[in-house]
Amino acid sequence: MSIFRLRTLGCVLAAMALAGGPAHAQKQGGTLTVGLELDIPGFDPLKVGVYDTSQNMAAALMLETLVRLDDNGKAAPSLAVSWSHSDDFKTWTFKLRPGVKFHDGTPFNAAAVKWNFDRQKDPKNNCRCAFYISFINSVDAPDDLTLVYNLRDPSVNLPTILTIQSSNNVVQSPAAIQAKGDDYNRNPVGTGPYVIKSWTAGDRMVLERNPNYWNKDKVYLDSIVLRPLPDSQSRFASLKSGETDLVWADEFEADNIQRAKTDSSLQVLSYAGSGAAVNVFNTKVAPLDDVRVRQALVMALDRKKYSQALTNGLSRPARNPYGDGSWVQCKDDGALPEDPKKAAELIKEYGKPVSFKMLFTATPRGRANGQILQQFWKNIGVNMEIEQVDQATIPARAFQRKFDVTPWRIVDFPDPDVQMFANFYSKSPLNLANFTDPALDKALEGARLTPDEAKRTEFYCEASRIINKDATWFWTFQNTYYAMAKAKVKGVPKLYGGVIDVSHAWLE
Amino acid sequence: MARFIGRRLVYLLPVLLAVTLLTFLIASLLPGDLAVTILGDQATPEKVEALRAQMGLDLPLWERYLRWLWGVAHGDLGRSFRTGETVLAAVADRLPVSLELMVIAEGMGLLIAIPLAILCAVKSGGALDRFMTGLAFGKLSLPPYLVAILLIYLFAVELNLLPATGWVPFSEDPITNIRSFVLPGLTLAFAEWPVLMRVLRSDMIATLQEDYIAMAKAKGLKPARILLVHALKPSSLTLVTVTGINIGRLIGGTLIIETIFALPGIGRLLVGAIYARDFIILQGVVLFVAVGFVIVNFIVDMLYAVLDPRIRHGRA
Repeated sequence: MSIFRLRTLGCVLAAMALAGGPAHAQKQGGTLTVGLELDIPGFDPLKVGVYDTSQNMAAALMLETLVRLDDNGKAAPSLAVSWSHSDDFKTWTFKLRPGVKFHDGTPFNAAAVKWNFDRQKDPKNNCRCAFYISFINSVDAPDDLTLVYNLRDPSVNLPTILTIQSSNNVVQSPAAIQAKGDDYNRNPVGTGPYVIKSWTAGDRMVLERNPNYWNKDKVYLDSIVLRPLPDSQSRFASLKSGETDLVWADEFEADNIQRAKTDSSLQVLSYAGSGAAVNVFNTKVAPLDDVRVRQALVMALDRKKYSQALTNGLSRPARNPYGDGSWVQCKDDGALPEDPKKAAELIKEYGKPVSFKMLFTATPRGRANGQILQQFWKNIGVNMEIEQVDQATIPARAFQRKFDVTPWRIVDFPDPDVQMFANFYSKSPLNLANFTDPALDKALEGARLTPDEAKRTEFYCEASRIINKDATWFWTFQNTYYAMAKAKVKGVPKLYGGVIDVSHAWLE
Repeated sequence: MARFIGRRLVYLLPVLLAVTLLTFLIASLLPGDLAVTILGDQATPEKVEALRAQMGLDLPLWERYLRWLWGVAHGDLGRSFRTGETVLAAVADRLPVSLELMVIAEGMGLLIAIPLAILCAVKSGGALDRFMTGLAFGKLSLPPYLVAILLIYLFAVELNLLPATGWVPFSEDPITNIRSFVLPGLTLAFAEWPVLMRVLRSDMIATLQEDYIAMAKAKGLKPARILLVHALKPSSLTLVTVTGINIGRLIGGTLIIETIFALPGIGRLLVGAIYARDFIILQGVVLFVAVGFVIVNFIVDMLYAVLDPRIRHGRA
């Protein structure tokens, strides 16, 4: 073989490698150890109510949803293979995957999904999870593989809404729930690619590959170990020393993330999600009932400096409730300029002293946030008093409207409708700003009723312009989700909703 | 001796009652309502009221306390509303970890403290004594969480000798089990030894000035024998007290150390229960820790009597 031909062969091989395609060799076998932030209390919705991110991540391994999100954020088949909707988007029909079995051998079918739904919806069961399915009136199972959702409100994008591995969306075995009673919570049974082999409370959950999984060719690891490691420094140390292969992280660990980025044995997985960290003005209390005051407070911010002070500059400034990760991208979102001079003038124009309280969590982060905002606002002659309260107190105070300004969050979600309607529609119980604007309602209704993405974008951009102009809410930073991993860890999809899904990962 | 034990046991009962009452009061003073926690923030007031009635939360405090006490007296500490586990099962799961950590930490602390204290006491005011005094004070001002991070950095990340986090049951793999306790044990021992050393040193100095020590010296006994056999036992009363208090404290696990090293002990259970507003677990764990503390103190009192016969006879 001449040198020339060898070189040609080399080029061809390189081209094949670049093209990926079938040469993409997913390696079979091995164990992946994942460091989570929190202990997992269990999986029974009636017990734990709503899953947090650690539970979502574990659920992604054992329990499955009807629909999953593909790499473009669109709905793709999982336990459901296809779907269709009525003209008014109030009835959705799903065709289910045949031949799927739960880990306990009982069949997965429409009746099982309906049973899960009814159990959560039943008022007698007092499930905290019921609130999040209140927009669904009922679920019918006309035959084994057909499932019909009857909605209270139209939803043009229902399938994507059912993708998060939440306590509402994952399908669990009715037979196992009934048989195990109180013990079911820590012995969940689903249809997913992994099953629990052992689980030591507070220490580790060991999962093994499910040999009967319906899509087992796409499952590569033999086992996965989930470990709650609550301290961020020791979590990072455990990754460095090889006790874990992948760890959950957030932008408050900016130092560790920077170190992982410069370490060739490690990789940083990050996902610029939709939504943002936001704050709500109670527009019914003085001085926040005056639009000039609210606008001044928003214009006084310098988000770049804010980010620098809070997370070493990792936090991405937000201009609207959607963020770069959303499919809603506006030419004009109406964001107010960051202009402290103009802000001070507006306060002067208002004429009276401006003083109010703002809620923060009783954590070091809450305090840091409060002090930074306090400084920005002091510069324009405004006095904000920090009121630090317990994390659980914030939603309670918000729902009772017992606040001047409260922090809130718009989480990464495949469709803006749910949160936009809840937070900004005048008649919504979560209209925390106590603000009514018919034009805003019209935009939100419009976005809800048309499936056309371009038209919906227009409606949402209009909504953003109205909210920004009235300054009833303000956005600080977009949602960014992080994981740090050994360089050999491959096949982790985008961290939708902050969930690190390693169910189809492999080790190189 | 039996009478002495009996007398001490009688004192225990009111202490335990007071502790459980206090626990109950504190738990009910905490912000947040169990019914709201279970139902979620969006629950209607009627639903919350109904659940409160169903769980007996609408009863007056004293009645709830008596009911709870009745349950405790019958061995029923309740069940976590969140995990479905009984309090007893949850504590039993976590206890071995905290106990092992306690034994290892206290053992390491004594192992460092006793020899140093004896050496310092023999040549009190000498170079070693002054150096150790300085070191002990320096060490006292270093918080354990900082020591923990430094130890992790040195032994786990840089040298890769010991694991930074985690735990396996002793029955499964004894060596890994012990290895995982070295760093947390050392962290706690580092915090303990200066105190232990200081109290033993000063008691020892006092003992060494007693006439019977001079007598032993005059008899020509070897210094090592004088120190270890004649001087150590009578000098260790304060040491036993301090060790006892430390053990009592460590029964509850150490919230920070167990969190940093990700050990599934009582401390982590408590932290989790607080975050999740799992009052039933919280109350059970605090009760358990309090009882443990009281029992350890009781044992320490017993040990006094062994160490110093005068106490047994109530003439000390």
